Amino acid sequence: MKTILVIDDAATVRMYHRHILESAGYSVDEAINGIEALEKALVKNYDLFIVDINMPKLDGYGFLRQLRSQDIEQAPAIMVSTESAKNDEILAYNAGANLYLIKPTKPDELLRYSRLLLGESI
Amino acid sequence: MMAFIKQQAPQEVSEDERTTARDFHGLSAELNSEHATARRWAVRDLVSFPQASEVLVARLKIEEDASVRTAILSSLAQLGDKTAMNGLVTCLRSDEASLRNEAIEVLKAIPDEVGPIINALLNDSDSDVRIFTINILESLRHEHVEQWLMSVIDNDDQVNVCATAVDLLSEVGSELSVQSLMNLKQRFANEPYICFSVDLALKRIQQGEH
Repeated sequence: MKTILVIDDAATVRMYHRHILESAGYSVDEAINGIEALEKALVKNYDLFIVDINMPKLDGYGFLRQLRSQDIEQAPAIMVSTESAKNDEILAYNAGANLYLIKPTKPDELLRYSRLLLGESI
Repeated sequence: MMAFIKQQAPQEVSEDERTTARDFHGLSAELNSEHATARRWAVRDLVSFPQASEVLVARLKIEEDASVRTAILSSLAQLGDKTAMNGLVTCLRSDEASLRNEAIEVLKAIPDEVGPIINALLNDSDSDVRIFTINILESLRHEHVEQWLMSVIDNDDQVNVCATAVDLLSEVGSELSVQSLMNLKQRFANEPYICFSVDLALKRIQQGEH
């Protein structure tokens, strides 16, 4: 079973993404900020990261930049944010995101892009 | 008689030392020092001067060192006057996520100063500023938090602003919020996240989980 790490400081968002992804047969872990996410990502191989941008302590950009600098197997990442500014999208890709989605995500959209990045048929 | 010239070793000046006059003008000048540590000390010492907000806000706009920036935000929070608050609020409009997040954390810690400007921030034309304001409410410990959040979900048209308010209401809301939550679910019936989060908030309120 593929495992996805959902990183968001909002508990409801984590629960929502977990609900969608588990309903589709994925295993889901959670992290409340970039620091906790890094700690988890360095000891466990994840198949996909779903990353919020605005988080305290270490934001989504910081998490991805640090993750991408590690000499470990790299999983794809979907960055999600409430902000639709073009600059944020560029920053997300520069930090190492594979895809940028605007919140609130729709279940079919999240699953479609997750499957795409996981190399599954959509 | 041979003159005796005492050879003095060149005095080393550590950047940690406070080398300039610690009056307002000296400290203001020190904000432009090439050494980050000297700038940081100046920022901290300027807290003693009520007129310091303006020079600190000006420095914040160009400061690139993260530790100095953090010190400026902290000093502005301590000063807490109108100029300082405007400077902190301006950070919420920054393109830099780290600066926005730092400002949010600082503003959370000063409820007495933030309280009077919450209504204005919740009606800001920039929806991101409204969202960050709700993030500030998260741990503001202010008696009006639930009322402010109800007002948001009753009136705001932006789905993410309402979603952020519902997230917080699921933690701090009471029976008072139930009707507003139900109305919101009707208003955004086509948004799965709103329906999910409202159901969760209602469940928590009805179970008295907080």
